[in-house]
Amino acid sequence: MSVSRDEVLRIAQLAELDVDDDALPEIAEQMSRILDYVAQLSAIPTNGTVKTFVPGPDAMRFRPDEVAPSPLMFGPAQFAPAFKEGFFVVPKLGQFE
Amino acid sequence: MSDARAVADRLIKAKRLNALLTPAKDLRKSLLAQAEAARTTGVLYGMPVAVKDNICTLEFTTTCGSKILEGYQSPYEATAITKLKAAGALIAGKTNCDEFAMGSSTEHSAYGRVIHPLDKARVPGGSSGGSAALVAAGAVPAALGSDTGGSVRQPAAFCGVVGMKPTYGRVSRYGLVAFGSSLDQIGVLGRSVHDAARVLSVISGRDARDSTCEDRDPLRLPTVPESLQGFVIGLPKEYFPAELDPAVKRACDRAIRMMKELGAAVREVSLPHTPYAVPTYYVIAPAEASSNLARYDGVRYGPRFDGHQDLHALYRTTRGQGFGPEVRRRILVGTYVLSAGYYDAYYRRAQQMRALIAQDFRNAFDRGVDLLFTPTVPAPAFKAGEKLSDPIAMYMSDIFTVTANLAGLPAMSLPIGRVKGLPIGGQLIGQAFLEDEMIEAAYALERVVPATDEA
Amino acid sequence: MSQAWETVIGLETHVQLRTRSKMFCGCSTSFGAPPNTQVCPVCLGLPGALPVANGAAIGLAVRGALALGCTVHPKSIFARKNYFYPDLPKGYQISQFDQPLATQGSLSFLSPERGAVTATIVRLHLEEDAGKSIHDRFPKATAVDLNRSGVPLIEIVGGPDLRSPAEARAYLQTLKQLLEYIGISDCDMEKGSLRVDANVSIRRAGETALNTRTEVKNINAFSFVEKALGVERDRQIALVESGGSVSQQTMLYDAKESTVRPQRSKEESHDYRYFPEPDLPPLVLTPEFVAEQQSELPELPGQKRERFMAQYALSREHATVLTASRAVAEYYEHVVRAPAEPQSAANWVMTEALADAKDHQEQLRVSPAALAQIIALVKGGTLSNQAAKRVFAEVASKGGDPRTIAESLGLVLVADTNVLAAWVSDVLGAHAPEVGRYKNGETKLMAFFVGQVMRASKGKADPKLAQRVLEEKLSA
Ligand SMILES: [Mg+2]
Ligand SMILES: [Zn+2]
Repeated sequence: MSVSRDEVLRIAQLAELDVDDDALPEIAEQMSRILDYVAQLSAIPTNGTVKTFVPGPDAMRFRPDEVAPSPLMFGPAQFAPAFKEGFFVVPKLGQFE
Repeated sequence: MSDARAVADRLIKAKRLNALLTPAKDLRKSLLAQAEAARTTGVLYGMPVAVKDNICTLEFTTTCGSKILEGYQSPYEATAITKLKAAGALIAGKTNCDEFAMGSSTEHSAYGRVIHPLDKARVPGGSSGGSAALVAAGAVPAALGSDTGGSVRQPAAFCGVVGMKPTYGRVSRYGLVAFGSSLDQIGVLGRSVHDAARVLSVISGRDARDSTCEDRDPLRLPTVPESLQGFVIGLPKEYFPAELDPAVKRACDRAIRMMKELGAAVREVSLPHTPYAVPTYYVIAPAEASSNLARYDGVRYGPRFDGHQDLHALYRTTRGQGFGPEVRRRILVGTYVLSAGYYDAYYRRAQQMRALIAQDFRNAFDRGVDLLFTPTVPAPAFKAGEKLSDPIAMYMSDIFTVTANLAGLPAMSLPIGRVKGLPIGGQLIGQAFLEDEMIEAAYALERVVPATDEA
Repeated sequence: MSQAWETVIGLETHVQLRTRSKMFCGCSTSFGAPPNTQVCPVCLGLPGALPVANGAAIGLAVRGALALGCTVHPKSIFARKNYFYPDLPKGYQISQFDQPLATQGSLSFLSPERGAVTATIVRLHLEEDAGKSIHDRFPKATAVDLNRSGVPLIEIVGGPDLRSPAEARAYLQTLKQLLEYIGISDCDMEKGSLRVDANVSIRRAGETALNTRTEVKNINAFSFVEKALGVERDRQIALVESGGSVSQQTMLYDAKESTVRPQRSKEESHDYRYFPEPDLPPLVLTPEFVAEQQSELPELPGQKRERFMAQYALSREHATVLTASRAVAEYYEHVVRAPAEPQSAANWVMTEALADAKDHQEQLRVSPAALAQIIALVKGGTLSNQAAKRVFAEVASKGGDPRTIAESLGLVLVADTNVLAAWVSDVLGAHAPEVGRYKNGETKLMAFFVGQVMRASKGKADPKLAQRVLEEKLSA
């Protein structure tokens, strides 16, 4: 198995995902299978000379510097799970934490 | 308006498929209002188009088949939707899909699986399974889907309808909820080549809100050709392996014979890096997804799950409970391949392999081939539950479709026969921004191929 | 503290670019709007929204890079920096990583300890700002305002070339001056449009290797830069001298307590998982675009200083003061061209004009033509220096023509030898002992006699003429 339980927990922490203790062995096993499967990519010789490829335009277009926000049919107060006096609200996070 | 009422009735009649996420009441009300307001001069005037639930609409909620967006009403709409409405089309509800378009069976939806219209034990394919099933059931002439690794073409093949994925950059992604940003394109499922093509033509073209959308005019529809004289069709040998389902092979052979009879020249070609396409895809797509799905954190929109003491607990319960198992799996894999020490071995390698796969296609086209023809999926629709416990077996369902996404090329599936009553799809892969040639060939093939006959 | 320690500091400066709209969306960047009112699908990170880059922000960033002598790369790449924070709507910041906009520049500044120093600029890249988390608004909650989310920034990464907190301050001052000069930012630390993080390490004097460094954050006013870095330097020295060792961590400066404390270690394990931003094609700059930005650059402070020294025969110190801000330099040159003698103009601008500006919201209230006229009145003997200062103050507060004002205040110098002779006689009559000493060779007493004549005349006597009359009378 290429991915240990500790590694799964470390990755889950990075991804801010709760992983149940019960589910941990199965997740580690499936991640290992997937990663072992995709690891065949490292077996083929693509040295530094091979370019990478991304589709789409070769160069970005620039937007003019105009105040023209894309439309919002209603404001954050209507879709936020917690909103007070104009602010989104989350559990307190101290400045020095 | 009686037409709008009839549209609603047809959609509601297909309820047993669990293909539509919009409640009947909302659908009726909205369709009547839309019909009232629709532009009578539009080229799609009065045409109902169902929309995959990962495309933002003002008419209905957009949940992406996920609990993490349960009840989410987008405050803006996708460019494709604006274009459809401007052409007079009616937004005919939101269709069920694999959660965040991650899956090949539409079993990974928080709102239950979609039933195959021809066999209730089977899956309609995915992730645009709801759109495919509704079109196949005759509820709508066309529906929008999204295709990141085959999510329009594979369910089209399973359900016996036409599915088109345009060139990357042909249709704006603004308002399409991102899964794999460098792979995603909105596509169209239609009951005929013409229905799919006319909708695709309407939603295509430049958009100042998407930097990856090319600055090009909308796709112009070709006329139906008399023959395929002058077309050179390439058959990539890697797509016809020995273990290919014999019925699929027979259906493909029959379609190839018919294209020859229509005057096309047929030539075997090789795309040597094909075996690496699925592993390449399953590095790039989860990597991009892990980042694209970071925004679902319970802070700004969507439900917030209980039991949190502090911010991290809020993040972790919301994301842990809001995402289903397949999405969690892909987020973890994607986070892993991008994390310190692994980037070069996985992500960079995959991007390099992607370049080799794209080069394979260029080489084939440079040698005079106009289009490639392949099976869309190695086998017909599988049974529900069959591949749920084996993610890699599920991923192999995309083996013939992911390459077009990796290379950014236009591709489509059309029905070319059946086996034991289940549809088989044939895939055409075109050159970048030459959808018109692909559609021309599809028009010709569609006219002659016995799509509902046993192969 | 032991003298044997040397401090090594490198600054990372974030600068808000002066644009109307945000980096990747059309929302306004104006400061002070009610919370969450300058937001849209893009800067809220709504599902399906996509970024489109602001061309003006890119132009300003290129200007900044050119002014710092950087190599501007024809192709650069935006990347995603992934981390979770409630004021980071997408869960990633669009920034640049391994292919930044510009690299390899430099900034010359005057160190209070070492004189002229050239610090390296390692890189300059474009990125978007996060929103604002407010921790003291609600009792048990953090409030998030996303108006600032997506505002365009450049990050300027300086090399570890600074050797003291005072030097870091001087570097930052010079950088701020340069950026203000070229007009790409208002560099207002209080509004958050200029922010600085510092990498700090210490080593024994004479060592050349770099030791483990800490990152000092939360320095949110200009006046704290020196203090915060001093506190951290002292902490490191005390730690090492008591047998400990510095560990790589982020320290947050607390201005109220004037202390630094480590950021909670859980937040530390940053693994940003950078990868190329798939929503944005490469940033390709044509030579024409870069040339256009170059042509928009004014003469830079360093160039201007050298030219002032050569063209106006000014000392380095005077030239430095006069080029410290673009407005002052331009004012000075207008005075000279009015015309006025360059050295006198320099003296007047550096003293009277700058002092007056300091008390009046940095307004240069006397027009260059009026100042040149005042200088000419002094030169021509019509006004004494003292009187000229009064005229300057009068013109500054009320405006008007300097000569008319001088006349109406009765400040014009008396150059009539008959009138002068009377004042001279009075003075010599009243100071017989000094006259005697003068005649015995104590000629330096001349200054005393001139002073007395000026006093007797209430400052109206032309001092040069008064001296001539005095010399005549005393030699008689
Ligand atoms: Mg930064
Ligand atoms: Zn915005």
